[in-house]
Amino acid sequence: MSSLIYKRLGAKSLLLSQNRRTQGHLVPFIFSSLSESHEYHGSIQNRLVLASGLSSFLHTTVESLSGSNPDHSNSSFYGTQSRHSLHADSKDGFCASGYFVSRRNISGFCSTLHPNVRSLTVSYQSVVTSRWFRLVGTQAAVEPSTSDELTMDRIVANQWTILDENENDWKSHAAAIAQSIQVIKRRLQWKKLMVRLDLLSVQLTKPDLWEDPVHAGKISREHGSLLCKMKEVKAFEQELLEHIDLIKLAREENDTELELQESLKALLRMRRDSKAKELEALLTGEQDSFSCYIEVQAGAGGTESMDWAAMVMQMYKSWAQRHGYGVIVVDEMPGEIAGIKRATIKVEGEYAFGYAKAEVGVHRLVRISPFDSGKRRHTSFAAVAVIPISGDGSTCVQINESDLRIERFRSGGAGGQHANTTDSAVRIVHIPTGVTATCQNERSQHQNKASAMAVLQSRVDQLEMARQAQMNAQHTQSLTDITWGSQIRSYVLHPYRMVKDLRTNYEVSNPDSVLEGDLDGFILSYLSSCLDRDEDD
Amino acid sequence: MRPSLARVYRIKSFTLIFQHKPSFVAANHHQRTPIYFSSLSSSCPNLQIRKPQTPLFLRAASYSATLPDLKKWHQWATSLASSVGSTLVDLDNGPDSTLLLRELNWLIQDSFQDHHNSFIPQLPTTEFTRTRVDSQVVKLRVGLDELYRLWRQRVEERRPFQYIVGCEHWRDLVLSVEDGVLVPRPETELIVDLVSNVLLKESNRGLRDGLWADLGTGSGALAIAIGRLLGKHGRVIATDLSPVAVAVATFNVQRYALQDVVDVRQGSWFEPLKDLEGKLGGIISNPPYIPSNHISGLQAEVGRHEPRLALDGGFNGMDDLLHICNGAASFLKPAGFFAFETNGLEQCKFLVDYMDRNIKGSICNVSIVSDFAGIPRFVTGFRQ
Repeated sequence: MSSLIYKRLGAKSLLLSQNRRTQGHLVPFIFSSLSESHEYHGSIQNRLVLASGLSSFLHTTVESLSGSNPDHSNSSFYGTQSRHSLHADSKDGFCASGYFVSRRNISGFCSTLHPNVRSLTVSYQSVVTSRWFRLVGTQAAVEPSTSDELTMDRIVANQWTILDENENDWKSHAAAIAQSIQVIKRRLQWKKLMVRLDLLSVQLTKPDLWEDPVHAGKISREHGSLLCKMKEVKAFEQELLEHIDLIKLAREENDTELELQESLKALLRMRRDSKAKELEALLTGEQDSFSCYIEVQAGAGGTESMDWAAMVMQMYKSWAQRHGYGVIVVDEMPGEIAGIKRATIKVEGEYAFGYAKAEVGVHRLVRISPFDSGKRRHTSFAAVAVIPISGDGSTCVQINESDLRIERFRSGGAGGQHANTTDSAVRIVHIPTGVTATCQNERSQHQNKASAMAVLQSRVDQLEMARQAQMNAQHTQSLTDITWGSQIRSYVLHPYRMVKDLRTNYEVSNPDSVLEGDLDGFILSYLSSCLDRDEDD
Repeated sequence: MRPSLARVYRIKSFTLIFQHKPSFVAANHHQRTPIYFSSLSSSCPNLQIRKPQTPLFLRAASYSATLPDLKKWHQWATSLASSVGSTLVDLDNGPDSTLLLRELNWLIQDSFQDHHNSFIPQLPTTEFTRTRVDSQVVKLRVGLDELYRLWRQRVEERRPFQYIVGCEHWRDLVLSVEDGVLVPRPETELIVDLVSNVLLKESNRGLRDGLWADLGTGSGALAIAIGRLLGKHGRVIATDLSPVAVAVATFNVQRYALQDVVDVRQGSWFEPLKDLEGKLGGIISNPPYIPSNHISGLQAEVGRHEPRLALDGGFNGMDDLLHICNGAASFLKPAGFFAFETNGLEQCKFLVDYMDRNIKGSICNVSIVSDFAGIPRFVTGFRQ
């Protein structure tokens, strides 16, 4: 198993090597954390590379409190795999997760941790990791508190004034973090999550579970994912309480100002980080991590709105490319003069659906039409639909070959040897539902058919899910959100310049940047408003 | 258009198995040289080992051009394609601008070494102008001059796109094609599905390891696709009269490493299969079926550039279909399957009637199958 050597430059600390088993009883808490070395100054940094028996690599920087007494720094670092998690506003930074454990505290242990955890929604795959979490799960029943029995609820109840980040006041930081944790819990639907978790735990213990491997896999995946979310939040809470303890202790023992500053810095990092976590908590839906199709359809109004539809499609292509998603045009019906009648692109990558779903609805444009010789102001509409592409086959509706009608699209003439054309577009109609799909951008009819079939499958799946959701009161609200008719955003290029989201009232005054794909502000504000509203119900 | 020689040589009697037929092998698209084969001599006087052309996408990227030059070419090519509008559709059901622009993207895909990094076809001009440094050099599989020449050929001379890039994407295959070889059509893909359905039936298990024949194989499309469907012992013999087709089909068979499965033989229809009467498990064919008097009115890509040998089916387009039909009766073994492509409803009916009248005792379960455009396209059936 993983063992590691941690060498401290300051020579105060000792070398520590542990395997997982011994850690098992040594360690009460485990934190998954991420470090970003450049944020730390005045501290001793050691680069440490770890290769575990799981062939996972952790490359991280360990920071320890400088000038601290030796007790502080008997640290062990236990790492799992590094992983990439996607976040709307994050660059492709290096992320690593690990468990940082250090010994010292009133309770015998203290932990210092690197708070930039960005992976609320990523499920752990390492066996070791999940085992660790379960271990913690059993110990987490008691509500965590500081040495003077300050709990999360009490911090919030204290109503400490939240000052600006620059004000170095620990109470302010603590209050802000506690508030964020509340938001995160709300977004994760904490109580429901706990109930669900218990339910899944019970199911997992059933001896006949694996008789249906597909179902079992689903249960265990969901369990792992929920558990992971729960642990992460708890760890974050714990971390906050420990920093408060540290600060109090430092004051009591009249430790150096430097040490106090370190804890304050750590709190500040947590505070900033908690904002990112709040956003991540937005993408916890079952399908959020999927790839998706984005479809744009021009509204009434001829060339003017077809041009607008093309602009909207381009906006999404740029947005997707900015996020490093793969973009494939599946289907595109160009307008006669300009623009597109409709188009479908496939956006491939993690959380593509989670973000893009915020764009569903009608987008309205007001501008002086370049197609109007009279230079009059025109209003055009384009409708956007977003369909998740389910990763595993388990949610798929079984489509029978006999229920399909496959047609050559835009065919004319005698065909066969008479015609040499590279156009082999097909349209597939699913007769029972009336759902259709078209693809013409592949180079063979066979591939066009396969591609159209994939779109059709997703559409039929979505229809089925909507049907199921209709029976589930919880989803009725979101169902009305995906209906086409609703206008969600207004892009005004004339007489003034502004883009405004009609759902959130979020607005920016530079339409060009939005049309170039800078949509994250809109997406995140919508996603947060959605979930926060849900919780009020 | 010269008068159809096929008509002059048309065989009146359907019962003749080996017929004399004039054929044309287009050396290039400007002139055709008629080549006459004697049906009785097994060796062809013109037969020589030809080296088929390498499709564009398989060539080494030994050329390069700067991005501004490529951008200029792209803009020129785009405007040339756009200038077409729908004029060619109205003229002879040719390509419209949209299709040509899509082909332009595919030309880029095939001729650029890293098309996705440098010249993403999906992005509008402004996007790569902004994101690319002008001095950047792009590796190409073909010279910039050649790109200009090729695109002009495509739009102005109506040279089929598949000949421009030297390949056709057909089903899940990418087949090499060149002047002198018929570009396999999307409709013909369905024959593979028909065969696949037959092979899936438990009662037809034996056919999976049987001997199949693809008559008039052209690029080898059907032979290769069916070769991949067959079982361990299944074999396909692909015949074609045209030496160019034989060379290209052989090349394609090798590209899919099917040398042990598909045997390409030169000769007219059943001629290279002389010793196999009553032994074939299946026969498939997409023979020439266009009536001779339609040839002159064909879409320019077809009429001006594709080999007449593969298109002209005689007076009513039925010459070769009837010939193959008769042959099928004697070459198929009992329960053997056949599928032939036709020009449409009229020919399908004609063929079914003909079988009913002339070879009723030996053929059964005859049916007509439509293509995706709803045109009755295929006649299928079994040997009794």
